Amino acid sequence: MNFTLLIQACLIGLFAYLGGIQTPWIAGISGGYYVLGRPLVAGLICGIIMGDVAQGVILGVAVQAAFIANVSTGGSTNSEIVYAAYGGIGLGLVSGASTGVAVSLSVLCGSLGLILYNLIMVENSYWNAGSAKAAAKGDEKGMWMTHIVGAQVCHFVIRAIPIAIAVYFGQDFVNLVLNNVPQQVIHIMDVLGGLLPALGVALLMNLLISEKLNFVYFMAGFIFYVFISNSMIALAVVACLVTVLVYTASGNSGAKVAEVAYDDDDDGVI
Amino acid sequence: MAKLDKKDLKKGWLWWQFWAMSTLSYEKLEANGFAHSMIPVAEKLYGKGTKEYAKCLERHSVFYNTEPQTGSIVNGIVASLEEKRSEGEEISDDMIHSVKSSLMGPIAGIGDSLVQGILIPILLSIAMSISASGNPLGVVFYIVCYLAIILSVSYWLYLKGYKLGLSAADLLVGENSNRLKKAFSILGTMVVGGLAASFVYLNTVIEFANESAGTTFNVQATLDSFFPGLLGLLSVLLCYYLINKKGWKSNKVLIFLIVLAAVGVLLGIF
Repeated sequence: MNFTLLIQACLIGLFAYLGGIQTPWIAGISGGYYVLGRPLVAGLICGIIMGDVAQGVILGVAVQAAFIANVSTGGSTNSEIVYAAYGGIGLGLVSGASTGVAVSLSVLCGSLGLILYNLIMVENSYWNAGSAKAAAKGDEKGMWMTHIVGAQVCHFVIRAIPIAIAVYFGQDFVNLVLNNVPQQVIHIMDVLGGLLPALGVALLMNLLISEKLNFVYFMAGFIFYVFISNSMIALAVVACLVTVLVYTASGNSGAKVAEVAYDDDDDGVI
Repeated sequence: MAKLDKKDLKKGWLWWQFWAMSTLSYEKLEANGFAHSMIPVAEKLYGKGTKEYAKCLERHSVFYNTEPQTGSIVNGIVASLEEKRSEGEEISDDMIHSVKSSLMGPIAGIGDSLVQGILIPILLSIAMSISASGNPLGVVFYIVCYLAIILSVSYWLYLKGYKLGLSAADLLVGENSNRLKKAFSILGTMVVGGLAASFVYLNTVIEFANESAGTTFNVQATLDSFFPGLLGLLSVLLCYYLINKKGWKSNKVLIFLIVLAAVGVLLGIF
């Protein structure tokens, strides 16, 4: 029994619970799901727990890139990003995997996590009924016991324990697999690690591009980054500028034509 | 009758912020979260243990779903309606229900696209570019910026909702906000272009030997010399085409990418 690893695995499991979409403890979903639940943040946290911050952050960035467009609307999602983040990065760190392997592991954990997520989404109906019953009686204590205490104990069990087990026992398993698969499979995973963000980006584009014209802005962003400056901050500033121009222009239909023309110049000059 | 003061409003917002998603389920989504957040408001307006108090909590235990962080505006509006009701104004249960159910959809729509589609990807892109080589500073940047922006916006919207009552909805779903959303989607689209350039990578290993000169012609080096990241861009465009034009689900595209990576590696292309 490896005590250090056991404690590390439990801590990663704990954060996997804190980052869950239903976990309220850190300002609801703002500090939980949208901060602790992001793979980027999970990378830093797993890195601190495992004692290798730099590697943790690097894996976090890689996994985040693949899950950049993970959106959850109306409670449904296509992959459970929190299981993916803590499972993939945690396993990646304990087994010393490359970024490509860590991304592949997190895609796997995300799909398995989706089953557990659905279990929570169904199991919560029980607490819904309990809380509604208490509300009808004006019994706020009953509401606390169902809506918060009961539900959260269940979520903790469903989220923290599988991740802790996966990280604790996963090391040997992942190492065994990695040592026995042909080199080409590892190479495929590395290629996939660079390719998966394409899906995330495409999903984001699908969300953002409502008019065909907006496609031009995507190309402008790509070209700017590749040919003008490898700086996301510079790009964000220029994009803000364009946004302000377009917003101002759209307010006044008379000036629209002139402003849009100016806009195009702008891209060329910078 | 009691009026809600600043402290009550802060509590009303905080309780929503924290407990909104605790029993998120497919059946009732945020129903009990809404009811739970009404506890402090109902306690002040109707008094603990009264019949009206129980009725108020019961009234709010029905199906509800919106983007919770921007949706705080609805909680503000409902708080003001409940206050008027407690003062004896004629506001029926039906009216409160119809306010909630008519606002939740449009606000979820704009909230999800602003938060998950624009704000988070922009902040993440900048943070990832800072953290790409393992520097934790980018992660800290994301955590601080996201929480500062979203929590202040959410609180501001709650207060606006309370102050302006029903007309507050125009802030999020009116003509002007539509213009704002369009402008912001340009910002998002440009940043996503940069994201594609920095995080999607696909390199070919194809080489042609030129035997007479004794040199090799490296395809990737040639591509890089005139358009770095071209293969990455093409894979993004392909994914976008499959999702947007062919209507593929993201899981289907995921499988397609896995096959593409595997076949590419086995054929010696990547």
